[in-house]
Amino acid sequence: MTQWHDVAKVRDLELRKKTAVTVEGTTIALFWIKGTVYALADTCIHEQRQLSKGAILFGKVVCPGHQWKFDPATGEAEGQGRCAPVFPVRVSEDGIVSVSLDRAGVTA
Amino acid sequence: MTRASMVLVGGGQASAVAARTLRRQGYDGRVVVVGDERHRPYQRPPLSKEFLTAGDESALELLPEAWAEENDIQVRTGVRALKISAADGAVLLDDGTTVGADAVLLATGSRPRRLPMLDGEGVHYLRTRDDAVALREALVPGARVVLVGGGFIGGEVASAAHELGARVTMLEAGPVPLAQAVGAELGAAYVRIPRAAGVDVRVDIMVEGLRREGGRIVVTTSRGDVPADVVVVGVGAVPNVDIAVDSGIDVGSGPGGGILVDELCRTSMDRVFAAGDVARHLHRGVGEHVRVEHFDHASRHGATASRNMLGESVAYEESHWFWSDQFGHNLQYVGHAGREDRLVVRGDLEGDQWTAFFVGEGRVTAAFALDAGEDIAVARELISARTTLPDEVLVDRDADLFEACEEWL
Repeated sequence: MTQWHDVAKVRDLELRKKTAVTVEGTTIALFWIKGTVYALADTCIHEQRQLSKGAILFGKVVCPGHQWKFDPATGEAEGQGRCAPVFPVRVSEDGIVSVSLDRAGVTA
Repeated sequence: MTRASMVLVGGGQASAVAARTLRRQGYDGRVVVVGDERHRPYQRPPLSKEFLTAGDESALELLPEAWAEENDIQVRTGVRALKISAADGAVLLDDGTTVGADAVLLATGSRPRRLPMLDGEGVHYLRTRDDAVALREALVPGARVVLVGGGFIGGEVASAAHELGARVTMLEAGPVPLAQAVGAELGAAYVRIPRAAGVDVRVDIMVEGLRREGGRIVVTTSRGDVPADVVVVGVGAVPNVDIAVDSGIDVGSGPGGGILVDELCRTSMDRVFAAGDVARHLHRGVGEHVRVEHFDHASRHGATASRNMLGESVAYEESHWFWSDQFGHNLQYVGHAGREDRLVVRGDLEGDQWTAFFVGEGRVTAAFALDAGEDIAVARELISARTTLPDEVLVDRDADLFEACEEWL
């Protein structure tokens, strides 16, 4: 059974667009993009910069370190042939964002 | 019938990405990478950065053996391609063998421009993995390291040498470092970084040569002698065009030269393409042929070239972008600034985080940033769209550039 961790309020995320949260030692970047919440490993797979400090442009997350561009849903880095880990996200009716570290359900 | 075949000449980033792209695009013919170094293809950016200080070899590999085997990519090291036969496209190698090819990519890269008066023991040029290993061994605590040339590579080596405990002096011919790349105003903003770290940056100084006194080197300059244990010369690069010249393929004139290619990476010879440092490529955004020596460009250009080798018609229109990590800071530059462009600065050039947008004829042409890579992402979009945001938005640090950019475009 998937274990969910409450990590943020969707209202706060809607305002800030991005934030970093830590779940059991794993730092996860949350993004609010056009009404959907996405969760990716915060540490860029390229050179360990923080994705949560990056830009959200035209639906993609751009790492500030070296401009790698990630699809927030799949974690795929455009033109690099690599993927950032993505995590399942759930938003409850009362606006609580939860993530799971269980990546088994992720198809990326 | 013989199997279809692609030959990628050069063992660097552009070739490696082209090889990977060919397979990703489903090409199932032979892929042969020919490199004249003894090493398999590796990444160069770390060579002037973390590889100099930490020596971590594991992160360098571009086409690891197991991966290459699995993907049926043949990597030939220590062999140089000499000439392409105009008749059948076959590539002649310096071991006397010939490799048949349906298409050839020339990605032979560039080499450091050498100054004849600066050579011999204790004098380093940095391009290859072997160069980096030799330099690293020389960067010991207390060593007096003199950098000739205040460019980005010079700055990165200065940073590594400083981190390793060396005493660093940087000699720059111009009035400020990086003036040619980013202009005098931003060069002056940049120079605070090495100076704050304790690097002795000397400007308006012409290096004349060197003499040796015992085991020591003395660099002679227009402003007197500079003693050194280690001299590192970083004064630009020269494209490796020999194979093109010997094959009768058009190259640009002058020392900057390079193999001339169109927007589809095609050279003047049928079925021969060029990419990366060596390619003087027609670029719509810039409006002319340019030769660019950046890692990211080599990757993207190599990928585009390989798709065109497979028969697609993909024009290369990416904005040229590079970064430099030094003294704990991240510098990024994107685009090509025009001589007459004005600067619109977000942040304070004397502060520790800023972005300078170059604006000309109603559009952003380039941007240079200190520890503000997210702004460079915006600049990249504006450059591609050939537009700008209102100055008051660009300079307003409370304005969300991402939102403004999405709304504007």
